[in-house]
Amino acid sequence: MKITIFNGEPDASSEFDAYVHEVAAQMATSGHNVETIDLRDLDIKGCSGCWGCWAKTPGECVKRDDTEQTCRAVVHSDLVVLAAPMVMGFTSALLKRMADQMIPLVHPYGLIEGGEMHHRPRYEHYSLMGLLLGAGPDTDTEDIAITQKMWSRTARNLKTRLAFTSVADRPAKEVAHELATVA
Amino acid sequence: MSSLLLLNGSPRGTRSNSMKMLTRVGEGWVHGGGDEPEVLHLALEQDRTRAVEAFGAADTVVLGMPLYADSMPGLVMGFIETLAPYVGREGNPRFGFLVQSGFPEALHSRPLERYLAKLATRLGCEYAGTIVRPGGEALQVMPDRANKKLWESLREVGKSLHVGGEFDSLVLSRIAGKERLSPTMVRVMSLASKAPVTEFYWNGLLKKNGAWGKRFDAPYASA
Ligand SMILES: Cc1cc2nc3c(=O)[nH]c(=O)nc-3n(C[C@H](O)[C@H](O)[C@H](O)COP(=O)(O)O)c2cc1C
Repeated sequence: MKITIFNGEPDASSEFDAYVHEVAAQMATSGHNVETIDLRDLDIKGCSGCWGCWAKTPGECVKRDDTEQTCRAVVHSDLVVLAAPMVMGFTSALLKRMADQMIPLVHPYGLIEGGEMHHRPRYEHYSLMGLLLGAGPDTDTEDIAITQKMWSRTARNLKTRLAFTSVADRPAKEVAHELATVA
Repeated sequence: MSSLLLLNGSPRGTRSNSMKMLTRVGEGWVHGGGDEPEVLHLALEQDRTRAVEAFGAADTVVLGMPLYADSMPGLVMGFIETLAPYVGREGNPRFGFLVQSGFPEALHSRPLERYLAKLATRLGCEYAGTIVRPGGEALQVMPDRANKKLWESLREVGKSLHVGGEFDSLVLSRIAGKERLSPTMVRVMSLASKAPVTEFYWNGLLKKNGAWGKRFDAPYASA
């Protein structure tokens, strides 16, 4: 199974960062093809709402930055793990800036799905998504519920679903095993 | 008790739907007897730095933003991260929000609304409410005079923010409009979305940019 981790931890020396890499190593040990993308090392320009990716260079951000890598991973993996520390009740801005630039993966054209307005797919395959959260000292269960709700809607808007959510408060091996069985 | 800070969280900056709507909220605030609001655009670097400081000094803050992939834009989350030092501080401002989105139903913005209410609580701010407005992208296309009703409603909530300390909830539900599509709308739109010809707005843009022939491109399809 091809698993890509989008690591949204800005601090390379944090405990959570080490945890994310440990989860990756554990999954690789069980024979999966695992790639970890440390978002802090990418050039992510941020979406400026220009609609160029829908109306000028269909399917690609006009800024031509490293989000090409993350977009590619979504259509070529079985599972994408969104990993980030919780800051002020939500996942890091680093992760969200990358996610804003995933909209070239769908069409501007609308589609009714489950009675709601969504987008038409541009690709045949979109990987499943998982959420791995580094809780902060102020994180409570409501924060996690709200965060999970927003990301599960993002996944749905991207023609897939959030199949897994966990907080990084248990052995990396356990989480790695569970992640590898969702897809 | 009457200084208002309007924070525009749209990555489009000054020429955004968020700003159009925030402007009317500010007008209502002034009609209600408040001082002329200060306006800062998070898309501008110098404003972003100033915003953190201005947040601490204001009596009331309204942060407006577009819905981006079902939550706040990364730009806005970056700003929220910088508010961490204000958690639990004495004398934090009253905090209200505006979220507007492209899809026609209000339901898409509700999880973000829940987050924002919790954010106000986390900071120890009094929560003034969240203005939710679906179908916001229409503001880019329609002339401003075609939106008189919306502007009036936004002025009303701006006024109630000054007079009563929060957005008037009845007017908020008028602004939010439809929570979800009616079964009839679902049927009509399901049919319409089967025929790409009906996707008038996007096809117009694609043609104008000479990109019509590439509209179904899937640049990342091959490994
Ligand atoms: C990257 C991106 C993501 C978006 N995601 C959503 C979404 O999940 N749901 C929605 O209804 N509209 C979405 N929109 C549409 C915007 O919310 C809408 O166009 C809004 O009116 C833009 O406001 P602004 O001019 O203030 O930036 C998205 C737009 C962009 C550029």
